[in-house]
Amino acid sequence: MTPVAIVGIDCRFAGAGDPEQFWELLRRGEEGIGPVPPQRWDVERYVSEDGRPGTANSRLGGFIEDAEAFDHEFFGISPKEAAALDPQQRLVLQTVWRAIEDATIDPRSLAGSRTGVFVGLMSSEWGNLHMLDFEGLTPQRGSGNGYCMVANRVSYHLDLKGPSIAVDTACSSSLMATHLGVSALVSGECDLVVVAGVNLMLTPALSIFYTQAGLSAPDGRCKPFAAAADGIGRGEGVGVVVLRRLEDAMADRQPVYAVIEGSAANQDGRSNGITAPNRWSQREVMARALERAGVAARDLTFVEAHGTGTILGDMIEVNALGELHGQGRDEPCWLGSVKGNLGHTEGAAGIAALIKTSLAMSKRTVPPTRHSREENPRLKLRENGLRLAKAPVQLPRGRVLAGVSSFGLGGTNVHVVLGSAPPTRWPARDGEAGVLTVSAASPEALRRNAAALLGTLGATADAQLSQVCFSSNRVKASLRHRLAVAGRDRATITGLLSRALSDDAAFEAATGRAGARPRTGMLFTGQGSQYPAMTRRLYEASPPYRERLDAVDQALRPHLGYSLVDALFAGGEEIHDTGLAQPALFAVEYAMGGALLDLGVRPAFMLGHSVGEYAAACLAGALDLEDAARLIVLRGALMRELPRSGSMIAVKAAVEDVRPLVDACADVSLAAVNGPGDVVVSGDSAAVAAIGDRLAAGGARVTRLTVSHAFHSPLMRPVLEAFGEAAATVTARTPSVPVISTLRGRRLDGEPMDGAYWTEHIEGTVRFGDALAVALAGEPTHLVEVGPRPVLLPLARRAGAAPASVRGLVPCPGPAATGAELAETIAALYLDGVEPRWPVLYSDGQRVPRRLPVYEFATAGRFWVDGAVATVVRHTRPGEPAAGAAAPVTAAAVEVGHDPVIAAIAAVGGYAPAEIRLEARLQEDLGYDSVILMQLMDQLKAGFPALGRIPVAEVVPQVATVADLLALVRDPAEVA
Amino acid sequence: MTASDAYVVGTGSALPGPPVDNAELARHFPVNAEWIERFIGTRTRHFAVDLATGEQRTGLAELAATAAGQALAKAGVEPDEVSFVVLGTASPDSLMPATVNLAADILGIDRVPTFQLQSGCAGAVQALETAMALLSPDRPLGLVIGGDVCAKHMDLRRGLGKLPPSELVNYAIFGDGAGAAVLSAQPAPGALAVRHVLNRFTGLGRPPGQVINWYGAAGRADGEQPVVEDYKAIEARVPVMAGEILWELLDRTGWDAGTISYLLPPQLSGVMTPRIVKELGLPGTVEVSVVAEVGNNGNALPFLQLDRLAEMVRPGERAVAVAVESSKWLKAGFTLEGV
Repeated sequence: MTPVAIVGIDCRFAGAGDPEQFWELLRRGEEGIGPVPPQRWDVERYVSEDGRPGTANSRLGGFIEDAEAFDHEFFGISPKEAAALDPQQRLVLQTVWRAIEDATIDPRSLAGSRTGVFVGLMSSEWGNLHMLDFEGLTPQRGSGNGYCMVANRVSYHLDLKGPSIAVDTACSSSLMATHLGVSALVSGECDLVVVAGVNLMLTPALSIFYTQAGLSAPDGRCKPFAAAADGIGRGEGVGVVVLRRLEDAMADRQPVYAVIEGSAANQDGRSNGITAPNRWSQREVMARALERAGVAARDLTFVEAHGTGTILGDMIEVNALGELHGQGRDEPCWLGSVKGNLGHTEGAAGIAALIKTSLAMSKRTVPPTRHSREENPRLKLRENGLRLAKAPVQLPRGRVLAGVSSFGLGGTNVHVVLGSAPPTRWPARDGEAGVLTVSAASPEALRRNAAALLGTLGATADAQLSQVCFSSNRVKASLRHRLAVAGRDRATITGLLSRALSDDAAFEAATGRAGARPRTGMLFTGQGSQYPAMTRRLYEASPPYRERLDAVDQALRPHLGYSLVDALFAGGEEIHDTGLAQPALFAVEYAMGGALLDLGVRPAFMLGHSVGEYAAACLAGALDLEDAARLIVLRGALMRELPRSGSMIAVKAAVEDVRPLVDACADVSLAAVNGPGDVVVSGDSAAVAAIGDRLAAGGARVTRLTVSHAFHSPLMRPVLEAFGEAAATVTARTPSVPVISTLRGRRLDGEPMDGAYWTEHIEGTVRFGDALAVALAGEPTHLVEVGPRPVLLPLARRAGAAPASVRGLVPCPGPAATGAELAETIAALYLDGVEPRWPVLYSDGQRVPRRLPVYEFATAGRFWVDGAVATVVRHTRPGEPAAGAAAPVTAAAVEVGHDPVIAAIAAVGGYAPAEIRLEARLQEDLGYDSVILMQLMDQLKAGFPALGRIPVAEVVPQVATVADLLALVRDPAEVA
Repeated sequence: MTASDAYVVGTGSALPGPPVDNAELARHFPVNAEWIERFIGTRTRHFAVDLATGEQRTGLAELAATAAGQALAKAGVEPDEVSFVVLGTASPDSLMPATVNLAADILGIDRVPTFQLQSGCAGAVQALETAMALLSPDRPLGLVIGGDVCAKHMDLRRGLGKLPPSELVNYAIFGDGAGAAVLSAQPAPGALAVRHVLNRFTGLGRPPGQVINWYGAAGRADGEQPVVEDYKAIEARVPVMAGEILWELLDRTGWDAGTISYLLPPQLSGVMTPRIVKELGLPGTVEVSVVAEVGNNGNALPFLQLDRLAEMVRPGERAVAVAVESSKWLKAGFTLEGV
């Protein structure tokens, strides 16, 4: 059989709120058995010591905590609908989400995929209670019940297109669901499968049934294979495993708990009675599963038995096992049953056994079987090749195999053969910059989930940081409210995260919301910004930057004759030699801007200051890398050969005041107009000095620039011919990103950046001020300075041109850079709505998904039955805020609190009016589907007769938010 | 012994707090920064104790776990794959429980054999040899850790002016830290094959060169020095022993001195180590030393050197490590080859 990997697990059982607690319970051989909670049924009314008709013989069972809690807001389900859902649906929904995250998959990434959902369950007592309440039947209650809906609701909310099936084969339901899920993967029908099992006890019905059938243990405990075994104790639970073909999981580097090597199902057929177990069928199903796995019974180290702890059931099962294990084994097979810890979890029993065995495989330990200290001697376990684990047993190294059995009351048997996961090694390395992301449905949930993540960072080695960041991006980045912190080491990341959690301003700075569409402009810095070993830290810390810089190094090498990367990081002052400075700036900017593009930044425009225009043109697609590399090397080399007879000054004066002075000198020009009062004069040193003196005398601030040559001046003319000849062969292409030219001071629309352009560029004035004004007219939200240090952003701010609302981002702040700033830039853009291509941020070896803490749902919203057969009410635990009340109430919500329309909108979903926000989306946020909207419209029509003329079917698609609906109600003509 | 199949597949280091330079050291103790620079040669070191507040920010268990976690991560190994843990130290956090078990607990390692060796500068090599002996098909992968924390000997309250120079000098020499290596029976890309390990007591009849006392409730006798070193003996003996160790390692491994790419010399101090390296006379080898930056870290040193070596070594390149423990004159060393 094609091996199938168990890649994700989540569960809740009695005494264990998650898989980790479950494992602790198992490892210590503890139990979760306790009294029937008062919330369930009037236990005294339905109990008697002797189990007389109509009563059960036990007050105990395995009950899960918080069964009534549900994060309806997360799933966009209204409180009223949540209250109408079988809690088994709610539990499965949340547990599936968590299990998928545990599989290192973002559940939202599965939308539209042919992922299958197979849910095993054998009762819906909620349905039994509610469907008889004919008066109270609502559409929500109708779809809130039914076995199928437990599976279908998962498919609906996660938008999964594969088969979605509820499976009922009584006690073997969830292992049967596993078998069916495995088959769907093996046949290729699905690429991912979610298998769930769930069981809640809302009535004493089955307890009474077991008592009357003589199967119920008076102490409410299953004592499998024990001398004291005297029947079944019932238990609750919900468990989910996420399955994938092993080959796919390995290719994706997913962590694997265990591998399903073979599975089989059969039926007792006509046995000694429909509920009597059948030894031959049990033997048969186990043999068949072993055969499909291609292994022998003696290869199994461990069998997780059905093991209910009834004398007869244990006997039949041990005899069936004995047929396979009684001979040919060097050592007896370990035998266990999780029912000793949890009770018989019925529809969830198979998944509980499967999860226990998967954890045992991955922890390489067989947990002890509770109550096994005094085993039932009549079972003759040793003779049957079996032994009970009375303390945790270490599994041997290498491949280990185990079997899991689950047998249904009506005779449907399932057996699964599990193998240990193949060994993998994903060596980690430190020093790379990463972004740690968390996202959630609300700001409160974001804090809660960020805190959970912070809790695990303590155990993370520095070397693992990139893998952890990569995993957080892959699994935990897509929800609406997002938090991101960037860094190169664990101390930085944990420091930022804990500060965000303890300080409101820091939280604000580290968080954002999805949905916005930032308009990002890239500004490419000009000459003068270079310094020795610039961007060395970035090169060390950022794989995408390194990759791009290496590529541009290759392109430059034939023209330079040496490696630019080597020359750059040698760290010498020769970086200021224009022959090196120009190619180096081009390379650094090309690599930095290229890395940003690779990371998924889609700029609205590119704007380069002087030499910066080369990288801008190249990345915009106007100029090929090879052409750009050739020209920039030539440009630097030609200029370098010019006599050093020129100089440049920066002048704080109006261009009108400077221009007459410049125009009067033949060898001087306006090199740059960076803003209205920000001018650079370039040319013959003596002439420039004279102009500078006159301007200074007039009160202008004049700064002499440290330059080797008078760039953008008539002194450049001697190189124009040679450069023009070489540039003539350049291929000018139509850019894919708008380029705002600093040569023209405007956006280039169709004008080619050809040889003539680049030749003119050498002497022409850099009209940065004009270009910036054009750029800002497009109202960018972000400006990124692509260069070795910020020059243009301060220039833009200085002129007052860029409003404070435009966010400036600096991927390399200068010589003191840590190397993490590019990652910080991506984090900032992500918080403002960009969806980065996260994997690009990391080197291939660090793109290893690791399990992180899974989503922690809100538990404030509680929905339960009131009385045995009664109406549904919303409960709130004392001391906890009502569901949704923790959400911020906007001013708008307060104002509209008494609006009759809002009241109606709130009432139909069971919200408090104050919870209704104007911007809330009816479907996604409030959970109002077309059925609820129809109900709502009907109600509103009563109060607003004008609405009556509009066909509801026409209205529904046009109304997205509460505000839309209010507008419609107040002015129906607008819509009609 | 000669190793059959033992590979270092991951290395890690942990140094507490920021580096403390000589100027800062001189602010807290009556030592002269220039003198340290010149006669000891240590430029910086790390301390588990925050000199400014006197608070101990970490214990050996935390440092050992951090270094080991780093080594595991770099090896791509999960803690539950570790089949044994060996820790060498001269300065456990407590005599009981053994620090190795506290470190295992922090790492999430359970149900495996653990060992703690009471040792000095040769401890890392002792731990390595113990680990190699433990490797087996049933125990294919183990964790080897070395570390020391001198917090118990850093008395910031006492009037240090009264300390004899032989005690005072220890403040200039020592530093705190831990190093670790993941040892596997299976090779992996970038691993270092352990070719030969030398580990030998040679102090018969020779008085100790270094003594570190420990005290219980009965306290120490008046005037007794907790740490005593015979510098003259160390200066005279260690270079000779280092030469003997190198010669024997090369002889046993069958390597020609000219084929060695890296030398990991004894890390006595920033001044002593270069002197020893010079006397060992292996021209053309790259010296891998850490003592000038981290001080004398005792059991951590060979692992800290190994951690640095692992970043440099390429397949086929050879390295020799030499360590001397002058307490009771232990010879130690090993040879490595890039896989």
